[in-house]
Amino acid sequence: MKILDKLPAEIADNKAFNNILTRVSVRRYTDETITDGQLTAILHAAMSAPSGVNKQPWEFIVVDDRALLTRLADALPYAKMAAQAPLAIVVCGNKERMLPGDDANLWEQDCSAASENILLAAHALGLGGVWTCLYPHTDRMDATRRILNIGDGIVPFNLIPIGHAVAEHAPMAKWHIDRVHFNGFNG
Amino acid sequence: MLLLAAALVAVSVRLASALREHGGEDESRDARSAAIECIMTRASVRAYTGQPVDKNLIDTILRAGMAAPTAANQQAWAFVVITDDSLKNRIAESFEYTKMVKDCAFAVVVCGNTDKLFDGDIARGGFWTLDCAAASENMLLAAHALGLGGVWCGIYPLADREKTLAGILNLPPNLTPLNVLSFGYPAATVSPKDKWQPSNIHYNAFK
Repeated sequence: MKILDKLPAEIADNKAFNNILTRVSVRRYTDETITDGQLTAILHAAMSAPSGVNKQPWEFIVVDDRALLTRLADALPYAKMAAQAPLAIVVCGNKERMLPGDDANLWEQDCSAASENILLAAHALGLGGVWTCLYPHTDRMDATRRILNIGDGIVPFNLIPIGHAVAEHAPMAKWHIDRVHFNGFNG
Repeated sequence: MLLLAAALVAVSVRLASALREHGGEDESRDARSAAIECIMTRASVRAYTGQPVDKNLIDTILRAGMAAPTAANQQAWAFVVITDDSLKNRIAESFEYTKMVKDCAFAVVVCGNTDKLFDGDIARGGFWTLDCAAASENMLLAAHALGLGGVWCGIYPLADREKTLAGILNLPPNLTPLNVLSFGYPAATVSPKDKWQPSNIHYNAFK
């Protein structure tokens, strides 16, 4: 694959590294369902993420009810593809496991790492997904709260539809050496 | 140590059962296993051998960072790589949780670049934090895949930590440091924590 062309063979052939570089956002899905084993692997990957002070402040709502997926797609401007997905995972933060004070917002980063793990695990299993943001938009969070019966103690973070891709996608070339600075900022 | 060994066995058994039902060719199954095993077995590595890391390998890890998804594809990030010993020491001495940076092979400070934000994003509490966090996880996973180890030390959203680090690295005002990722060859094998909690999973509504 083109994105791996310039790398030494032993690195391009590293399966776990290759999986990170070839992950793409998948927004169109076939009718094929996701097995319980696949879902377990994906959720296990999610919970393997690091978290600040090991708080593991996450919760995962698995939505495979067609009517709920349709309602979410209708209510959320950037999650229309959920209507066609066999399944979506709503990643949430649990206020009971957030840090005190100014570090409370570290939960966002923890849930982001868990979300990236979900996308990487799905890609590794031959599936595909896309991260659609809920937080910090209160209108999207409120709509999700209503549809999934989420109370005040839980903060909806994002919605990740997952399915079998209709077509293969080439990963975007996002390597920009000008974003790298050595030993301090140097212009 | 026994506890750690037990946790590793638990993770391995669950991984095997999660992957058991997948068919397909052997090679494709191996690729799936390797990628998922990497995610499930990553651990925070805070002690290093002292062996330097080749610059090409540092670049490789940064490539994994930049492969992360970003809101509206804004890629509003910058990566400051620290290999200089005096900078490592200053970072190690400046924060409570960054002592290991003193002995790391290199560190990466992932920064949000507020000059590159798309119209819907904001300088504080916005999407770039999430994008840079996804990039950070990719780098930790890539390091683990390539035989290195790393640990994520939080900086943002604490203003005093951000200011101190920005001063050490001479960051311009448009760059906000999210974290310090410390990397090196692991001095010892670190077993992953078993963090699988079925109580975190809810079906079709929050219960």
